[in-house]
Amino acid sequence: MSERTAYDAIDRYTSIAASIAGAQPSEACELRASEPATVIERLHPHRLTLEVTEVISETPTTTTLRMASTGPDLPPFLAGQYVNLFVELDGTRTSRPYAISSAPAERDHYDLTVREVTRGFVSPHLVRRVRRGDRFHSTGPMGEFFRNPLFHGDRLMFLAGGSGVAPARSMIRDITARGGTSRLHLVYGSRDRSDIIFREELDELARAHDTIEIAHVISEPDPGWDGRTGFITGDLIAELAGPHLHRTTYYLCGPPAMYDFCLDALQRLDIARRRVRYEANGPPAEPGRLRGWPGQLDPATTVVVNVDGRGKFEAACGEPLLNSLERAGYQLEAGCRSGHCSLCRVKILSGAVVSGPEARIRRSDEWTGHTHACTAFPVSDVEVQL
Amino acid sequence: MSASTSTSGVDVVVIGAGNAGLTAAVRLAQSGAATLLLEQHNIPGGCATSFRRGRFEFEVALHQLSGLGTENHPFQIRQLLGELGVLDRLEFVYEPDLYRVTIADLVDVTLPADRTGVVGVLAALHPAESRAVERFLDLVHDVFEEWIAFTYLGGSQLGPDEAKKKYPLFTHYALRTLREVLDELFVSQTLKTVLAAYWDYLGQTPANLAFVDYAVVFEVYLEYKPAHIKGGSQAMSNALLDQFQRLGGEVRFSCGAGAILTEDGHVKAVRTVGGDTISCRAVVSNVSTPVTYGRLLDTGTPAAVAQDLASRPIGVSGCMVYLGLDATPHELGMTTSTSFSFAGFDHDLLGPRRDEIGDPRAIAVTCYSLADPSFSPPGTTHLVIMDLQYSEPWTRLSPSEYLDVKFAYGNKLIDFAERTFPGLRDTIAEADVATPITVMRYLRHPGGAIYGFDQTPSDSALLRSGGVVVPGLYLAGAWTGTGGFQPTLTAGAAAADAVLAAIGRNHLSPPGAPR
Repeated sequence: MSERTAYDAIDRYTSIAASIAGAQPSEACELRASEPATVIERLHPHRLTLEVTEVISETPTTTTLRMASTGPDLPPFLAGQYVNLFVELDGTRTSRPYAISSAPAERDHYDLTVREVTRGFVSPHLVRRVRRGDRFHSTGPMGEFFRNPLFHGDRLMFLAGGSGVAPARSMIRDITARGGTSRLHLVYGSRDRSDIIFREELDELARAHDTIEIAHVISEPDPGWDGRTGFITGDLIAELAGPHLHRTTYYLCGPPAMYDFCLDALQRLDIARRRVRYEANGPPAEPGRLRGWPGQLDPATTVVVNVDGRGKFEAACGEPLLNSLERAGYQLEAGCRSGHCSLCRVKILSGAVVSGPEARIRRSDEWTGHTHACTAFPVSDVEVQL
Repeated sequence: MSASTSTSGVDVVVIGAGNAGLTAAVRLAQSGAATLLLEQHNIPGGCATSFRRGRFEFEVALHQLSGLGTENHPFQIRQLLGELGVLDRLEFVYEPDLYRVTIADLVDVTLPADRTGVVGVLAALHPAESRAVERFLDLVHDVFEEWIAFTYLGGSQLGPDEAKKKYPLFTHYALRTLREVLDELFVSQTLKTVLAAYWDYLGQTPANLAFVDYAVVFEVYLEYKPAHIKGGSQAMSNALLDQFQRLGGEVRFSCGAGAILTEDGHVKAVRTVGGDTISCRAVVSNVSTPVTYGRLLDTGTPAAVAQDLASRPIGVSGCMVYLGLDATPHELGMTTSTSFSFAGFDHDLLGPRRDEIGDPRAIAVTCYSLADPSFSPPGTTHLVIMDLQYSEPWTRLSPSEYLDVKFAYGNKLIDFAERTFPGLRDTIAEADVATPITVMRYLRHPGGAIYGFDQTPSDSALLRSGGVVVPGLYLAGAWTGTGGFQPTLTAGAAAADAVLAAIGRNHLSPPGAPR
């Protein structure tokens, strides 16, 4: 018997120590050790491998890519969320986030609805050149633009412009599939009749379900259009929301100009800020107009980006750091590419960057010189640490 | 310092930039050890982090920082952060109260963070038992002091009879349960309920909690005051990482460890998930104990570790609702930074369960904007509702059920909090929910455990040696001792000291030597 120690003076020490010594090792602990990997792979996989099973032409400029899992079911998501799709074009590995337009209940595939952006880099490729059988990698579903059951309530109005209708389709199909008390009014602005995406499908859903209403608004109507014309105005929102105007949650998704216009309209209607949900859609289009931008600096001006001892390259100061880093061959994590998710968080060791108002940078990250590369514009030569 | 991927060898690889990984890394770098810090996420901190929603920045895990002490009355954490060279880069605010306890309309008591105040409040509540309150506080204090002397000042080297004589209260009460001590001292169920509320921070209800563990927590908060960090726990994590880099340390983010490689039983290298192999003389693992040995160590879990793990159930996780509110703390009726709300008087009926998610029974509500209005935009409040949950009922859910259950339970937590803070929901501007799955996702801990193993009396540090099993492999974090900020911050520095003692400060790579 071993010598008694000070520990044996503690009441109950000896009996507890004996029960510890007598415990039988089992496989349970080894199994628990592999639990994080298996559970997280099912619910929050780091990367998805997706295969295009259908290319659906929606309008002359818009295509839905039906992307199926090459393995087990795809992870669950909330209607309104997106995946960030990785592509390699002209030797540059980059990515773009696309809202999932299919319903959360369908987990053997995600539909990604892509509209061709004039002079865009990635969207023309996706809209025109992708074929059945092509494979992609993406992030798992992410993003905060979804109906949050904690506080959004049951009266919802979705103000969509162009391909901004993609997340609305997912929300509508979610609501109709669930059959609950949530009501969604889609107010959908398009340029002309041929630009309306999902028209038949959504109108059909609205006819079949009294929880869904749809108002199309056309800005450049042909003579045969007998529906609403113009833009999504405050008057229209007030008319459609009726007595529920201040008890409705509003979702905005569309081109930048629509955000400015609709946010202003909602504010004039005295809608509480918390009832207006929108997600920035890419980096600021006109960095030269950002607050903090040096007065006379032309966004086309070239600066030198030094990657912490690993190399340097030239970039236009009007291009987000993430894009120029990718073009120069650097790989870094990215998600929303709109300043929110912080996956492309980098440290600016020297020089200055200007970020858009949508960049959600943690307070202490600002203190230590961190920024989100996707919305950071280098307005001088900079040294950056990935 | 180069961030190149060509590094082939260092003195020490630290795996994981959580609290313990960060303090270990800084301590090592301060001593001149060539140190590489690997972190699978893209930001330092582990739990000690934050995330943005709209105009708000949400604190993930820090409720009340313990063990800091004030400038005039400093304690362990203030000293540690000072030694690590980050104290002057952080700003702290203090809570004047320990906490408020509510049980529906039956109990609403606030305990100030000072002994006289606690006695005053509880004596007014139950005059007949005011002596018992004083005895409880004396016992907490004395057991704490004797525990320090036993554990850190050589007491454990004494013989049993001498130890018993020198530390009579510690040896008698340390491994008794909190419940036994409360039952011995009090008749009033209200007093027991109010004084035991901090069990929520240890994850075990009073019948399963060693009195010494509770006494340490209670005494440290009472004597050294609960604190908050301006900018949240992320500010501390960022400051520690910044210091590590200033000292020449190299960090790789989005770079998980894939394997710890040994040769002749001694650690010789770490292989990253990406396939790089970095040779080293020692590893500090801030990864959970089951994963470090069971998944990373090339030789698998050693028999001695398997024997130890056999009696250590994976601990509790939590469900958190993070809220940004369009109202001031005052408008919301927040009078303390910390509140506990319970569904009944007997804490042992309110603990987390492994068989079902159930309904909320015990929540901690932390209001960050009360002591520090700069924590959220003017006129708003940031608040977190925390509820202890085991992961089992969550991992049993099918993927198609998971998101619905997550938000439904978040809604229940808000309803439960509204019993104390009516009108909360109507002011929500931003909200999100984290579950044990979320914790598992970001920390990669089995069970999404937030405090490591279940902290029952059998898990007490008095009974678990925590010594080195594989030469060169040092573990530090919630799994190697008590969970929480103070223990993990100190555990990392202690692991670094052990590494330095073992490899010898004189045998570190000279600066500029090829690696």
